[in-house]
Amino acid sequence: MEVLRDSRGWTHVELVLSGGAPWGFTLKGGREHREPLLVTKVEEGCKAAVAGVLIGDEIVSINAVPLTGYRQEAISLVKRSHNALTLVVRRFASLPIFPCNAKLF
Amino acid sequence: MNDSFNTSHYDNGYGQDEYMTQEDEWDRDLLLDPAWEKQQRKTFTAWCNSHLRKAGTQIENIEEDFRNGLKLMLLLEVISGERLPKPDRGKMRFHKIANVNKALEFITSKGVKLVSIGAEEIVDGNVKMTLGMIWTIILRFAIQDISVEETSAKEGLLLWCQRKTAPYRNVNVQNFHVSWKDGLALCALIHRHRPDLIDYAKLNKDDHLGNLNLAFDIAEKYLDIPKMLDAEDIVNTPKPDERAIMTYVSCFYHAFAGAEQAETAANRICKVLGVNQENEKLMEDYERLASELLEWIRRTTPWLENRVPEKTMSEMRKKLEDFRDYRRLHKPPKVQEKCQLEISFNTLQTKLRISNRPSFMPSEGKMVSDIASAWQGLEQAEKGYEEWLLTEIRRLERLDHLAEKFRQKATTHETWASGKEQILSQKDYDSASLSEIRALLRKHEAFESDLAAHQDRVEQIAAIAQELNELDYHDVAAVNQRCQSICDLWDHLGTLTQKRREALERTEKLLETVDQLFLEFAKRSAPFNNWMEGAMEDLQDMFIVHTIEEVQSLTAAHEQFKATLPEADSERQAILGIQNEVQKIYQNYGIRGNVTNPYSTISTEEIVVKWDKVKTLVPQRDGALQEELARQHANERLRRQFAAQANLIGPWIQTRMEEIARCALEMGGTLEDQMTQLKQYEHVIIAYKPNVDKLEGDHQLIQESLIFDNKHTNYTMEHIRVGWELLLTTIARTINEIETQILIRDAKGISQEQMHEFRSSFKHFDRKKNGVMDTDDFRACLISMGYDLGEVEFARIMMLVDPSATGVVSFQSFIDFMTRETADTDTADQVVASFRILATDKPYILADELRRELPPDQADYCIMRMPPYSGPGTVAGALDYTAFSTALYGESDL
Repeated sequence: MEVLRDSRGWTHVELVLSGGAPWGFTLKGGREHREPLLVTKVEEGCKAAVAGVLIGDEIVSINAVPLTGYRQEAISLVKRSHNALTLVVRRFASLPIFPCNAKLF
Repeated sequence: MNDSFNTSHYDNGYGQDEYMTQEDEWDRDLLLDPAWEKQQRKTFTAWCNSHLRKAGTQIENIEEDFRNGLKLMLLLEVISGERLPKPDRGKMRFHKIANVNKALEFITSKGVKLVSIGAEEIVDGNVKMTLGMIWTIILRFAIQDISVEETSAKEGLLLWCQRKTAPYRNVNVQNFHVSWKDGLALCALIHRHRPDLIDYAKLNKDDHLGNLNLAFDIAEKYLDIPKMLDAEDIVNTPKPDERAIMTYVSCFYHAFAGAEQAETAANRICKVLGVNQENEKLMEDYERLASELLEWIRRTTPWLENRVPEKTMSEMRKKLEDFRDYRRLHKPPKVQEKCQLEISFNTLQTKLRISNRPSFMPSEGKMVSDIASAWQGLEQAEKGYEEWLLTEIRRLERLDHLAEKFRQKATTHETWASGKEQILSQKDYDSASLSEIRALLRKHEAFESDLAAHQDRVEQIAAIAQELNELDYHDVAAVNQRCQSICDLWDHLGTLTQKRREALERTEKLLETVDQLFLEFAKRSAPFNNWMEGAMEDLQDMFIVHTIEEVQSLTAAHEQFKATLPEADSERQAILGIQNEVQKIYQNYGIRGNVTNPYSTISTEEIVVKWDKVKTLVPQRDGALQEELARQHANERLRRQFAAQANLIGPWIQTRMEEIARCALEMGGTLEDQMTQLKQYEHVIIAYKPNVDKLEGDHQLIQESLIFDNKHTNYTMEHIRVGWELLLTTIARTINEIETQILIRDAKGISQEQMHEFRSSFKHFDRKKNGVMDTDDFRACLISMGYDLGEVEFARIMMLVDPSATGVVSFQSFIDFMTRETADTDTADQVVASFRILATDKPYILADELRRELPPDQADYCIMRMPPYSGPGTVAGALDYTAFSTALYGESDL
């Protein structure tokens, strides 16, 4: 297992969401606005929360598709998922976090 | 004439008791049987008369006529053939007795024992005595000397009778009395000797009288044997008188024996003569045979002694055949002849000796010894001949064999040798390479050993030729010639071989030398070639230099290179020299063939060409370097020019930036004041542009000249450009910021004091004083403002204020953040709530609802942009206003 950290403690975390839409998180930003694609809201007890999605996570890839950064692309990818959604997010973590159903890689 | 003694009837009954028997009979016969006396008297009288008639006298009365002894003496004389002493002529008794005594003495002198016979009895006319005496005389003179097969006297006579009568079956003479009674014995006796006198077959065996009388008659008539017996007496007497019979039979004996004797004598003479004739014939034969044989030997011996050899085996074989024929066909009869000769000689000699003749003396040169020696000579010659023949044949065989061997070996050798001369005379080494020469040398070595191996054979051939010579082979001349030619060729081959070896070795050495030279050439030419190629490359090397020093170092290197040229030149010459040497060798020794160097692909032409090239390149390079140097100088000038300018502009921009920054951070005064200041700065900046342009021009020149560095200034055009643009942007941005701040201030109603507070906070936490806050500054700032932040929260906030993750927070962002927290703005949620009202609390909205509530173009905008709602309870045409709203605000709810 390779823990990808950059020098400031940013890690990539793989999260597996299950259960189907709505997942319960809000994406903001995107290359259209020249901003990173960030999770700005996570509803309490939603599927995203259960999977371990946190506010501030930057989505890097959806369902193993690396993102170009456009939100529209990300939305399409998410909407294509039915029961399972795999997200790889970039997160600032100075301490290793081991959420119960998240894989660190 | 019968000479055969048939011994089958031989009766050996009479032993040596003859005398004794006689004595006994004599004693007994003192009482003489009157019959016997009668017979005896008749017989004895007749007997005496048969003798006395030769003397011309007879007796009448046997006891009377012998009384005076005269007739007795006469009888004795006639019988013995000897003279008795003169008789006494007197009539007196004593004269008679004397005469009778004389007779008796004579008888006694003949070895007869007269027992109890005295002269007185005879004179007295004693019949018995007289008969006895006469019997004695008869016995002595007629019978005693009979000898038949070593049996004498009475037995002899009996034997004679038995022998003679043996063939007659009905005659069996066993004694001198009863055996004669049938007369057949007498007839048989007669017939035996004179078959012409009696026809024995016609005799009747029962007619004893007839037979006897017949015998008596024939004997008297033809045999001159007077009748002495009386047939009736004999027949009638049971046992006739033995003595009478004996006397009469003895006459037969003497008659036949005599006749036989005469016959024998005649025969003897005939025999002797015959023997003589025979012998003479034998001698003649011998002589003849001997001559023939000797002649034959004389003829044959030289033939056998002829030792002139024939030339060919077949002729010798013929000779051998002839000899064999001689041995098998011609000689054996001769051997036999010789044998015969010997035998005849021996026989002849024996015969002569037996017949008491002188031995045969062959004529001169025909003696047995001569023949023997001649024969010996023949045999020796023969033996010698056979030996010689065989030796010769062996010799010829050997010669033939040798000659054949010679031919074979010579042929084989010649076959081998043919073509070798040509091969050895080849000049194939002229144009051969070193390895070829070596191969040729190996081949030659092999040939040399082959040659050596053949030396043996040549010697063998010569030896055989020698032997043929010694053995005097008939065709030895041809052999010698061939042998000579072979030897000559052999010597020649030897010479050629040697020459070839020398030539090959010499060539090999030369080629080796050449090879060495080639090798050296290769060894030296390769690096030299490399060096030249390297040099050419270097000389043609496109150099990109940016400094004068670089050019100078290149030039220095070039000068260094030029310094090595002379050495290189000499190397070149040396290398070319090698090639020349090779050429010279080839020329001098007339070696044809490739002059190519097997070790090197580099030719001298190549070297020459390259060298020339190098030579031309050197000055070219010089020129190029000089050019470059000039260029570099020019560049330097440009650099300096640029640098001067840039060094002015750079700091100027920096100053301006600082001014603007300072202005931006200036807390005193209003935003409008700031704006005015900034606008002033802007003017100044714009006015300064031509300088920058000029620098751009210089820069272009520099770029065109491909100058990439400039140590005279730390400012690159990019720096300046960037700085300039930054300056422009900064001023624009700052102005914009101020404008924005003014806007915000106006929009958000932030008072001057608030703004001043924000600004001083920012300024305070901008520890580095670079117009921005880094994360720690910001964190501290937030804490100071009362935010209780966990890491996650802070990160989130950082994300909001520094979305680009630059790591710093600008004053604008800071203001935004601060005012966001306090402002009331439309958020996505609010818009969503608004849509929900329109959608009557449904999670989705329908198109006609939109058209109902919103202006048509905005409704269309929404309808077009709203994604379909795919949540629970969806219907056809349901539109997701939530996603749309969040999307509007740059957010999407998923």
